[in-house]
Amino acid sequence: MRAAFAAWRRRFTEREEWRLTEHFFRALFDFGFLSDLAADSFKRVLIGSIGGFIAFGLLLTRAFMVKYAVLLGTGTPERYRRALLGDDMLIIGLPMLLVAFVTLLVSHSLFPDERDFRILGPLPVQRFVVFRAKLTALLMFAGLFTAAAHVSLLPLTLLTSLNPWGEHNVFLRLIAWAIASLTGSAFAILSITAVVGALVLAISRSQLQALSTFMRSMVLGLLVVCLPLVSHLPTLGPALSSQASWMLFVPPAWFLGLQRTLQGQGDSWLVQLGAVGFIATLLAAMVVGVTYLVLFRQFERLMLRPAPTSSPWWRADRFPTRSRVSPAFEGAYGFTMKTIGRSQLHQGVLVGLSACGIGMATIFLTSARITTSAVFVPFLLMFACGVGARAALALPIDYRANWIFQVTEDRLTRRDQLRAVDRLVTMYVIAVPLAAAAPLLWMAHSTNALLPAAVVVAVGLVFVHGVLLDWQRIPFTCSYLPGKRFIGHSALIGVAACILFTVTGGGFVRLATVDATLGTIVAASLLLIGYWLRGRRLLNWARTPLMFEDEFPDQPLRLQL
Amino acid sequence: MLEARGLSKRYGGFLALDRVDFQVRRGEILGYLGPNGSGKSTTVNTVVGLIDPSAGSLWMDGAPIADDPVGYKRRIGYVPEEPHLYTHLTAIEYLMLVGRLRGLTERTLAEKIPALLKLLLLWDSRYATMAAYSKGMRQRVLFAAALMHNPDLLVLDEPFSGLDVTASLLFRTLLRMYAAGDRMVLFSTHRFDMVEKLCSRVVILSRGRIAAEYDMEEFRSQQSRSLEEVFIQATGQDDFTPVAREILDLMQP
Repeated sequence: MRAAFAAWRRRFTEREEWRLTEHFFRALFDFGFLSDLAADSFKRVLIGSIGGFIAFGLLLTRAFMVKYAVLLGTGTPERYRRALLGDDMLIIGLPMLLVAFVTLLVSHSLFPDERDFRILGPLPVQRFVVFRAKLTALLMFAGLFTAAAHVSLLPLTLLTSLNPWGEHNVFLRLIAWAIASLTGSAFAILSITAVVGALVLAISRSQLQALSTFMRSMVLGLLVVCLPLVSHLPTLGPALSSQASWMLFVPPAWFLGLQRTLQGQGDSWLVQLGAVGFIATLLAAMVVGVTYLVLFRQFERLMLRPAPTSSPWWRADRFPTRSRVSPAFEGAYGFTMKTIGRSQLHQGVLVGLSACGIGMATIFLTSARITTSAVFVPFLLMFACGVGARAALALPIDYRANWIFQVTEDRLTRRDQLRAVDRLVTMYVIAVPLAAAAPLLWMAHSTNALLPAAVVVAVGLVFVHGVLLDWQRIPFTCSYLPGKRFIGHSALIGVAACILFTVTGGGFVRLATVDATLGTIVAASLLLIGYWLRGRRLLNWARTPLMFEDEFPDQPLRLQL
Repeated sequence: MLEARGLSKRYGGFLALDRVDFQVRRGEILGYLGPNGSGKSTTVNTVVGLIDPSAGSLWMDGAPIADDPVGYKRRIGYVPEEPHLYTHLTAIEYLMLVGRLRGLTERTLAEKIPALLKLLLLWDSRYATMAAYSKGMRQRVLFAAALMHNPDLLVLDEPFSGLDVTASLLFRTLLRMYAAGDRMVLFSTHRFDMVEKLCSRVVILSRGRIAAEYDMEEFRSQQSRSLEEVFIQATGQDDFTPVAREILDLMQP
């Protein structure tokens, strides 16, 4: 028996399709910008994160034990039912969010692409084998994370199922949960795949890069913002039971409806929600199916679309003939803007980390009074935007193309190039939070909002110089060494720095709202500090050469024996 | 005149360049030949300032370039071996970037870039990012970038790889005319035919050292052997017949 199984296994794994599937599966972990060593460690991090989900699931179960002990001890069937509605939405929503993240992360490899076409085309492999292998690899990858997410939430589902009132058959509930939640996760995967697929089919090659980058960044931003909102799902039980119509826009509610329908407990409202979820999943599956089919039938035509011969509608066909700034400044500025606009990785990092700030700000806005929010939200956003901007600019693109910056570097142009970086980061880190904070400050302080806004700007200026204090690079031109610092250590320092910055900045704003004179002094002092920091950095830019090679923070001293 | 004096480069325990001396005179194209790993690219990278030599120095018009490396860099154009450029940019955007980094004004760029792209048959592809370009097209962009600022010295590292016959002929003629205008070209390549047709002198490098140096005019009149034969002897290349036979044997099922 064992020998027969081994022989079957050998036969299976030696088939060309399995080899190809294995290759595609591995490629899903390859992001193209990491070295072999870094990609290997990234794989370990990703696989390790599955263990993390399971630990998280157990932790969540432990946290919910307290809630359910109280609920089952002193509650009523009605209270239990309402609580269960919200908690079930969380149990369904968490895996949906997780697999959506993972699918977005590998969205560069969801469909066979030009590289597959060029490499596999000349080999004696049939096209349907390539497509099937790609699809299988994708299913394996998504399945891995979907399974991990569901296994991790199984204890919590069991805990929430137990009740003294015989509300449901536990076994039936578990089956219904598994079906509904897996459908929910499938919807998350399919909808992201459908968006990517529609872009591949509908958009010309020249526009594909910029538009798909933009779309992916937006989806990423949306998912990050959803993170804190997921934690609010358990509080939505009452809204669901009162049939609030906006629940139609909350996807986890659809699949909760499906679960209740399968359990035979759905009222017409829940059945309607379940139907919406089912139809949405079906539609997404259809788009994905059609995309695969069209790609399969017209692979060559779609992959080898000719280069565009006319200007895209948003780009005028003209050259600037005058510039008020130096050429070096223009060069670095344009290069940075275009790279952020077109590189999926860099835009994703910028948007993803900035969206963390929006997520944190959303929690603040939903749980604190407007006067408190107006004080702290700008700094939460500012911190996230600053970290996001620095991280995005630090990652390289086409690293070996940086020779042009190396052979043209000199003291004067270096200063101008770094000024361009400074301008961009300052604009982003101050303008985004200020735009978000302005309505809040207006609502909280009406006409007296000007001074607090000035304090926000002054803090922002000091913060930008802090973020870029040791920055001596042209964006995207320096190599990147992942794992320079222990990730937990960095996260801890980041959280501490965020809290310290937000509290300090908020303190200054509060001071400005209480005492205008003191606020003016604070704003003026901060501006002076910012001016002094800028002077120091300008001096440093002129003295220190640009960095093109990343370094470990504590290089061992070479004895040169 | 560009002069390398005792140029050496050591990577850890490996000596990539060992006391190399050569000159590139005004009005001439110096061919720089050598097998893989002989130190050609190390020389080129040192000449364009991407790496510092471990020993020795480079001199430009009688002055060490270490005295004014920035001024020296302004006077050189460089076409690298591989078309390393920012492929997410269009050719126009890349040339704008290079021009700006080289300090050219917007007006100059507005005049030069469209004209260069039209002459190099890249104008029709101007809206596509260079990710969609063939190797030859990228190479043409690199040529445009290297020539745009009217450099004194052109450093070419295997510049004709990927170029079609038409583009090769164009650049050959261009290089000849460019050098004739009292400028210098350092031309690192594997291709003997190009060196024979294009260069006024040739330096043959082997294992980091100069193995031979010839004036092409004299070489043609005095040598009865071809440049390839001289190269094989100077670099100590073996007879490859046994290796080829072994490969053919391996191909048998």
